[in-house]
Amino acid sequence: MEIFWHTIARYNAATWPVQIVLVAAAVALTVLLYRRPTSTVRKLTKLYLALLNAWIAVAYYSVYCAQRDYHYIPAFFWGAMAAVWVYDLCTGYTTFERTYRHDRFTAVLYLLPFLYPVFSLLRGLEFPGITTPVMPCCVAVYTVALLLAFSRRVNLFVILILCHWAILGLSKVYFFRMPEDSLLTCSIVPALYLFFKEYIDTHLDATTKPDARTMHRLLVLLCVVVGVFFAVAIVHEFAEGIL
Amino acid sequence: MIESEDELKRVGRFIAEYAARLLGAGVHTSRVVRNSKRIGRSQGVDVRMTTLQKTVVMTLCTPSGSIVRTEVIDIAALPIGFELNSDLSALSWEACDEHLSLEELRRRYERIISKPRIDPMFVLVVVGLANASFCKLFGGDWTAVGVVFTATLIGFYTRQRLQLRGVNHYIVFVVSAFVASICASSALMFDTTAEIAIATSVLYLIPGVPLINGVIDIVEGHVLIGCTRLIHSLLLVFCIAAGLSATLLLVKNSLL
Repeated sequence: MEIFWHTIARYNAATWPVQIVLVAAAVALTVLLYRRPTSTVRKLTKLYLALLNAWIAVAYYSVYCAQRDYHYIPAFFWGAMAAVWVYDLCTGYTTFERTYRHDRFTAVLYLLPFLYPVFSLLRGLEFPGITTPVMPCCVAVYTVALLLAFSRRVNLFVILILCHWAILGLSKVYFFRMPEDSLLTCSIVPALYLFFKEYIDTHLDATTKPDARTMHRLLVLLCVVVGVFFAVAIVHEFAEGIL
Repeated sequence: MIESEDELKRVGRFIAEYAARLLGAGVHTSRVVRNSKRIGRSQGVDVRMTTLQKTVVMTLCTPSGSIVRTEVIDIAALPIGFELNSDLSALSWEACDEHLSLEELRRRYERIISKPRIDPMFVLVVVGLANASFCKLFGGDWTAVGVVFTATLIGFYTRQRLQLRGVNHYIVFVVSAFVASICASSALMFDTTAEIAIATSVLYLIPGVPLINGVIDIVEGHVLIGCTRLIHSLLLVFCIAAGLSATLLLVKNSLL
């Protein structure tokens, strides 16, 4: 656990100017996607996401987290995500067309990466040993928010990988005493519900079974079960921390 | 009773199509032979058939032996469907018990095969839950169970997408096994039952139905198709092993 926080401190101390640039680019591209969603802006967003994921793979995991055991596994993971975005850029699969359906929830999700450092500071941590918006879980939350806001056609592969990362985030809450990651875990369950609900609304017809109503009920049940599982794990972790 | 060659041709075509559908959807050979003969009897025809992995050869003749016809039909690779298999088997009994005409048989057959198929997203989630349950059964802790669940979702989704694109079956298995196991290997970062997570993450790919059918076929005397099915299944198991080995080489031998 000490190595874990030490690597985070090293990363922040060495890369905070780059992180500011990356956050500014994210804000600018997100605003442009809402105000002037041209083809160029959409392509630039995909390119930015590819670069951001590659940054996490190379700079964060391969360079500054090299002291951690098995650091190359998440590096490979985020590298693969970067490759998926490059593929998406070439094929144009994700359209980044706004749906206007989940605006309030996505607004909350956009704020979460900025809540990570606040959460750390409130816990009594000090810079550079705090979580920042250009770290894996924050990038995952930002990607989920972006895909949810522009979810007319999304790459489900990316969603599933982010879901996998959320499970790992929950484990980090537990194993590395990193309660900040519960923000990602808490946001992924409703996000998954919305993604799959959208799928049920648009894809299901008379040629498939179970019917849309049954699928919706099963989805609610699954999300409740996963949500309760997450809640119990997080509460257990917080209770252990207090005691 | 069959009185003309044309009538026998129509009956033969139907039974051949019926048998090929059953074999393609994962039914063991003796059951297909039994059902086909039963439908033949209901139409007043003797059926004798040879089944191979990709083809059915079927000879039909009237009881007097005056008219004989041979049908050869390819077996398409269809998704395994137990409900479809059960309904088609029941159809053969209906043909026998209710003395159905060929037209009525064809109508009921078309109704069965055009029933709604299970939504791929539903299959995805259920397979994920099943594999996560395997992890728990093999002694994995809850972290490993969660990791296996999402790793299976990613692996199985990869398989579905590759199959939709018509990629070679063996390549699909290697890639899917690699994707699922590399995702499950992320459990190594934590103090958890990571080995169980990696090992169980590929279990959704095990070709259980062809393996069981292969054994049943050999036991019941259809040795040729039984061996073919077993060889096909074993090749798929080798593909799973190849995908899993690639992951282990990367993460356990630190090749990354």
